[in-house]
Amino acid sequence: MKIEKILFVTKFEQLGFDALLSLLSLRKASLGHVVLMNVIERERVAMRRGTGYRKSEERRLREVANIRFIDWAENLFEQGMEVGVYIVVGSMVPEVITAAGKEQADLIVIGRPHQGILEQLYAGSDVTELLQRSSTPVLVYKQLSESAIAFEKPFERPLLAIDWSPASLLAVDYLKEMKDLCQQIHVVHVVSEKELKGTNAMDIQKTRKETRRKLDEICTAFESAEIQAEPHVYVGETAVEIEKAARECQATMIALGSSAKAAWLERWMGSTPREIAEKSVYPTLLIPPPKA
Amino acid sequence: MGKKVLVVDDDPDVRMFSITVLEENGYAPLEATNGEEGMSLVRQERPDLIILDVLMPRESGIKLYRDLKTDSKLKDTPVIIQSGIAEKSFLRSQKALTEFGGAAVPEPEAYLEKPVEADELAATIRSVLGES
Repeated sequence: MKIEKILFVTKFEQLGFDALLSLLSLRKASLGHVVLMNVIERERVAMRRGTGYRKSEERRLREVANIRFIDWAENLFEQGMEVGVYIVVGSMVPEVITAAGKEQADLIVIGRPHQGILEQLYAGSDVTELLQRSSTPVLVYKQLSESAIAFEKPFERPLLAIDWSPASLLAVDYLKEMKDLCQQIHVVHVVSEKELKGTNAMDIQKTRKETRRKLDEICTAFESAEIQAEPHVYVGETAVEIEKAARECQATMIALGSSAKAAWLERWMGSTPREIAEKSVYPTLLIPPPKA
Repeated sequence: MGKKVLVVDDDPDVRMFSITVLEENGYAPLEATNGEEGMSLVRQERPDLIILDVLMPRESGIKLYRDLKTDSKLKDTPVIIQSGIAEKSFLRSQKALTEFGGAAVPEPEAYLEKPVEADELAATIRSVLGES
């Protein structure tokens, strides 16, 4: 699974050129083509009473995006990258999925949404919907100014959160291709407190030992791909512990398999990938489950 | 029938503008919306001239240009680049791609930065085709 082509989806205010530049280290993992995409949400140009479809507004928004992309593309072209551009009017997620399919992108990069809790609960977010529908891995990127941590090279020290799901095991294969980029991978499994309740000290240690053995196997797989890897076992609430582990390991990114839960179930019951993607300060790489 | 000129551009307004200029000047225009489609038309129709945009979906003009100029049968087809991308960025990209192990390619026959006036486009076409 090489990353030769990325689809970089931006609304400009969420994801800027600094974020794109920080991804150019992927060149070492065969990146040669960046497709820039801006989706003009339909409601911004929709029919209004007395004015009809706002064609001139569409033209203005297209040109604003075009000017930004020309500037970015010039920079990328000068570095020998191939660049493509999509500026389309429509709904974000279907347009992104269509473009990713047409371009056969290896990775979709998207910014984190800024929505209120109620808005997310009732409407969901573009990120949640994209994670549900995309068969292409998605990197949810955070604005570099959002936290004090600067993620200049997100793939340098990823933290891989493993829950033994098929998607998280696929993430292992995905990251194994990154030996020229990754200095070290921290492989983390979070044991929930529920799993430990009511068991004696022996049983708890047995759980830790068994988890550690499985993590060691994954680390060995990374090391055979010439990537240094460290196993870690954490206990507690999954999303909180993953964030804590990322901080303690000085990770530059969190990688995990995305959820296979139905969209409505995920919206009401929550899921760790969604929570991390939407709340973590770290760039988050979500690998979809294998195709059935 | 006039000479065949292929316009490769994803912007419908620019394609329409270029085609109008071509028709008014007695050429036979062909059109493509991206590099992939453009290259397939080049092989099929063997145009006398290509007016090429750089920034497009699917395959960019850079890829088409390099494929064209490294193909022994097609490399002599003249190209006018018509793009919002600055000429110096285009030339630097060619240099960078050559440094990354690609073949060296010549500069395009003409370079026009968008927006282009109708007279300027017509004059450039005539000059590149040796008709002025």
